[in-house]
Amino acid sequence: MKKRIWSWRVTAGFGVLFAVALVVGVSVGPIPLPFAGVVQTLFGGGHALSSVDQAVLLQIRLPRVILAGLVGAALATSGAVYQTVFRNPLADPYLLGVAAGAGLGATLAFVLGGSVLLGATGVALVPVFAFVGALAAVAVTFLVAGARRSDPRTLLLAGVAVGSFATAAQTYLFQSHTQILRTVYSWILGQLVAADWSTVAWTAGYLVLALGVLFVIARRLDGLLLSDEEAHSLGLKPARLRAVAIAAATLATATAVAAGGLIGFVGLVIPHLIRGLLHRATNRSLPAIALAGGAFLIFADLGARTLLSPAELPIGVITAFVGAPFFLWILRRGGRP
Amino acid sequence: MKPFKHISVAALIAALSIASLTAAPAIAKPAAHVPTRIVSLSPSATEILWGIGAAKQVTAVDDNSNFPVGVPTTTLSSFTPNVEAIAGYKPDLVILQANATKATAVQAALKKLGIPVFLEQTPTATAGAYTEIKQLGQLTGHTSQAAKLVSSMKKQIKAIVSMFAAPKIRVFHELDSTLYSATSKTFIGAVYKDFGVTNIADAAAGADQSGYPQLTAEYLIKANPQVVVLADGDWGESKATVSARAGWAAIDAVKNGKIYTIGSDISSRWGPRLVDLYRAVGQILSHVN
Repeated sequence: MKKRIWSWRVTAGFGVLFAVALVVGVSVGPIPLPFAGVVQTLFGGGHALSSVDQAVLLQIRLPRVILAGLVGAALATSGAVYQTVFRNPLADPYLLGVAAGAGLGATLAFVLGGSVLLGATGVALVPVFAFVGALAAVAVTFLVAGARRSDPRTLLLAGVAVGSFATAAQTYLFQSHTQILRTVYSWILGQLVAADWSTVAWTAGYLVLALGVLFVIARRLDGLLLSDEEAHSLGLKPARLRAVAIAAATLATATAVAAGGLIGFVGLVIPHLIRGLLHRATNRSLPAIALAGGAFLIFADLGARTLLSPAELPIGVITAFVGAPFFLWILRRGGRP
Repeated sequence: MKPFKHISVAALIAALSIASLTAAPAIAKPAAHVPTRIVSLSPSATEILWGIGAAKQVTAVDDNSNFPVGVPTTTLSSFTPNVEAIAGYKPDLVILQANATKATAVQAALKKLGIPVFLEQTPTATAGAYTEIKQLGQLTGHTSQAAKLVSSMKKQIKAIVSMFAAPKIRVFHELDSTLYSATSKTFIGAVYKDFGVTNIADAAAGADQSGYPQLTAEYLIKANPQVVVLADGDWGESKATVSARAGWAAIDAVKNGKIYTIGSDISSRWGPRLVDLYRAVGQILSHVN
């Protein structure tokens, strides 16, 4: 009972952090907006801001901040789940080839759809292709790893190979369809730039499903850290649990990739940071990880929006700048956070 | 005697130079070193070669060269040139874009095979286009046609600019739907600059040295362009899609319907059709004035 209260407090603490990130993200941007006017517009609905400023706040900034929060939460949560399922501290959507598979799927959508798909309505099809690509990548990774799939190293190496293959196929598609090159590249670097409410809506829809499933099975996921025999003895069905967890984490990753482009290292840095802070590897901290991931990406996107203002800085640059040294640090410590 | 000798030397030089001057127009056919199997791996260079009357000397052009009608388009890539594929055409001059993949390595490899290479720099102002036309004129033995083309282009462009000058009109030139644009330090930006417009991408010139910054949507809406020019019309963007973008209804260009598309080919090539580009931009600006 005590433990449960403690866990709720921690989660609430990260909820506050997320709320702070939201407030800062909405208040700060390339265009200075009066804070009082922002608060009044958001909560009072009045006309405290000029119509242009109101459009900037409600149509540009707010959906972008919320989308960054959603994408960050999805990447951090799926990273944490992959690390548990594969019993590997370095597992993240990138190393497993999932993100590359999603990227290939999305590129295929651009190639097949051509100009028709690139219009306003067609873009909604991209996440579907991304999910199919991501699922295919995970499935192939599993098949390639074969009977030794419970060995984390085999699985991770298979993931790297699958990811390289997907990236190669994607590069081939680029080179043979140079007319889509620019569109796909800017998409890969991140679409938070073009966030609007419709993107927020479908992203939230997919993530409620994916993260909902993961939060519900979070407690049971800890059983996957044990050997399969031990898990069985606890009354768990490790194979089925693993399949459900991977499917849900993959849906979360694909949605994040489709909405935000390829943003690396969030799935690695945040779970390790939170679990390190809490001194425990359990998945009870999953909601806290989601909230922290959302807050992290909101701040990273704030940097993307403002550091080179009025020009954009690709958000992947910021997350890699923070994440890559962190990755090396984990490696040096032998994989322990 | 000494001064006399000087005079005779001077006279000799003078005589020789007069002889060479009078001899020059007498060369009707191209000299032996003038290339006759040119491979152009640049759509701009291809248009220039046709413009200066060197068409018959061109054997092959790259996959993006599509103008004028009848150019010998091949599968040769301008972005990722392949030395063997190029050499297969047995060219005696290759025009290579300096920003192609591994351009200097490709140039070195072709030189080893004894094939001369013209490395084409992407101009950042119209002067660069004129320079290239003259250079290609010299290389192909069409110096006078090149000079004629340049002076005719300059004259037409001057007339267009004076007719459609649009001082301080706020313009947003869109390269793609994620708001990549071009500052006045780029080739296309220099065209807008000639009309005296205010290019809203220039505010990002300090932060982004490439000349092609990606603007934040917030800034764009606040900068309130009076006209939006879409270079991404071929990729599905249009007046309808731009007007439907979230928050854009606050922009003057959207309110007044001043959204126009411009061909991606003419807006990214610096050949004889530069005149067409000026005309297209001028006509767009005339709708706002």
